[in-house]
Amino acid sequence: MLEVRGIHAAYGAVRALEDVSLSVGAGEIVCLLGANGAGKTTTLNCISGIVPVTQGRILFEGEEVTSERVDWLVARGIVQVPEGREIFPGLSTQDNLELGAWTRRRHNGRAAGLERVYELFPRLKERAAQRAGTLSGGEQQMLMIGRALMAQPRLLMFDEPSLGLSPILVQQVFRIIRRLHEEGMTILLVEQNARMALEVSARGYILENGEVKLHGEAGSLATDPQVREAYLGA
Amino acid sequence: MSLVLQGVASGVVTGCVYALVALSLVIVYKATDVVNFAGGELVMIGAYLGLLLLLWFQLPYIAMFALVPVAVFAVGALFDRITLRKVGGRALAKHVDLVSFVVATIGLSYLLKGAVRVVPFTEEVRRLPPLFSGPPVFIGDVVLQRQDLAIIAVTTMIMLALWLFFERTLLGKALRATSQNARAAALVGVPVSAMRMAVWGLASAIAGIAGVLLAPKLLMTPDMGAVVMLAFAAAIIGGFSSLPGCVVGGIALGVIQNLVGIFISPQAIAVTPFFVIMLVLLFRPEGLFGESLALKKV
Ligand SMILES: Nc1ncnc2c1ncn2[C@@H]1O[C@H](COP(=O)(O)OP(=O)(O)OP(=O)(O)O)[C@@H](O)[C@H]1O
Ligand SMILES: [Mg+2]
Repeated sequence: MLEVRGIHAAYGAVRALEDVSLSVGAGEIVCLLGANGAGKTTTLNCISGIVPVTQGRILFEGEEVTSERVDWLVARGIVQVPEGREIFPGLSTQDNLELGAWTRRRHNGRAAGLERVYELFPRLKERAAQRAGTLSGGEQQMLMIGRALMAQPRLLMFDEPSLGLSPILVQQVFRIIRRLHEEGMTILLVEQNARMALEVSARGYILENGEVKLHGEAGSLATDPQVREAYLGA
Repeated sequence: MSLVLQGVASGVVTGCVYALVALSLVIVYKATDVVNFAGGELVMIGAYLGLLLLLWFQLPYIAMFALVPVAVFAVGALFDRITLRKVGGRALAKHVDLVSFVVATIGLSYLLKGAVRVVPFTEEVRRLPPLFSGPPVFIGDVVLQRQDLAIIAVTTMIMLALWLFFERTLLGKALRATSQNARAAALVGVPVSAMRMAVWGLASAIAGIAGVLLAPKLLMTPDMGAVVMLAFAAAIIGGFSSLPGCVVGGIALGVIQNLVGIFISPQAIAVTPFFVIMLVLLFRPEGLFGESLALKKV
């Protein structure tokens, strides 16, 4: 479904990605692991069209999408749940969600989408009228996931969804990811929490200094001695 | 007593105009973090365009009133499209240098003033005909010109429309979202640079309308954009981030000016806005309506 072929990216003189290739099949969960600064966020942002790709190609459902505009890519179904708390703090929870459906604003079924998000996250329904900036960190993470779902993604990319959450909330986020997968969603998951990421994923890629160092089945990565030492703390 | 009442009433009228210009400044500031030093010149070209359409093209007042905001919208939107986008480079770059944006707005202000000066038509000092003429209206002891009532009515309508737009429409919410978190807005697929352009257009159109409303009350000169200082004061009273704050700030400033004129001295009117700015910044830097600074950081 998604094919990244040898992309390069840079921030001015700083090289961020070198010849990164990866693929995600329809309905698959694939994780992208790596230390801080390895280039995980940059990879997602290249796919999302936020960071320009200097070399290489990105294909989505067989079609070239390299360097397309962000809004076009979102409408096409490539949607990102970004790192951190990227919400609209001054708008209500519900308005935040409705903006998630911006690229679907001329389509029907937005109300159904909202119902579905509220069914996944009952907490957001209770907080529908509350200003998003006053939600707790966990609720804001849920809100970002819900907002991404409102766009009716075909490929959903998570950037460190467990960052800064308590263990219980981390469990909850991974439960949601698993559930979305069971419902057929294609997922690219960036995580620091390598153990849990490898548990839910079928395959994984390990990024180091902007290059793919290893990739393979999640099971074999989890038992790889190098990976165990560097990312699983064993 | 009736002198004071009269002062308050005409203060409200001029305050409405300050409020409109303040709204224009704050809408741009909230959406793009740019302080628009050409705000006053957008008022000025609104007024001159009105004059041009009425006297030169002999258009009826209503047509002029509809065309001026459209034209000034285009000026603001094009300024953003041609200049700011070039200055800023990629809209999503993390560190945009705000100083260069602000300098670009100063450039725009000189450009507009210069453009108006070279038109021979503007050498004579002129006055825009009022929206409604006719005998003044008495409310108790207070006398208001018909133009004054028109100013209050038009301002009220614009404010209601803005409120509805920003609170009730998806486009309005998308504009607010862009101003609160441009990155997140881009990620949900909102075309951020088109939004910025729309904001510049909208804010400019409001300034243009303010010009048409204000011009009949003063002599028109290419320097009439100086009214922007009063709008800055009004916006600062309101915390430079709140739209209702602009309205209250503008009206309060209009009234304060007149009361200063009555009770202290007419000469003191000119320094009043600066004095008010200093007082607000000293004692309540977040303005009367601003969110507490801590909350804004979120
Ligand atoms: N906007 C930017 N400007 C300049 N350099 C950047 C920018 N964003 C990232 N970089 C650099 O690019 C490299 C990759 O960063 P990236 O954010 O992709 O890493 P990451 O793997 O997501 O890290 P983390 O786990 O900390 O989120 C880093 O060296 C970083 O310093
Ligand atoms: Mg990152």
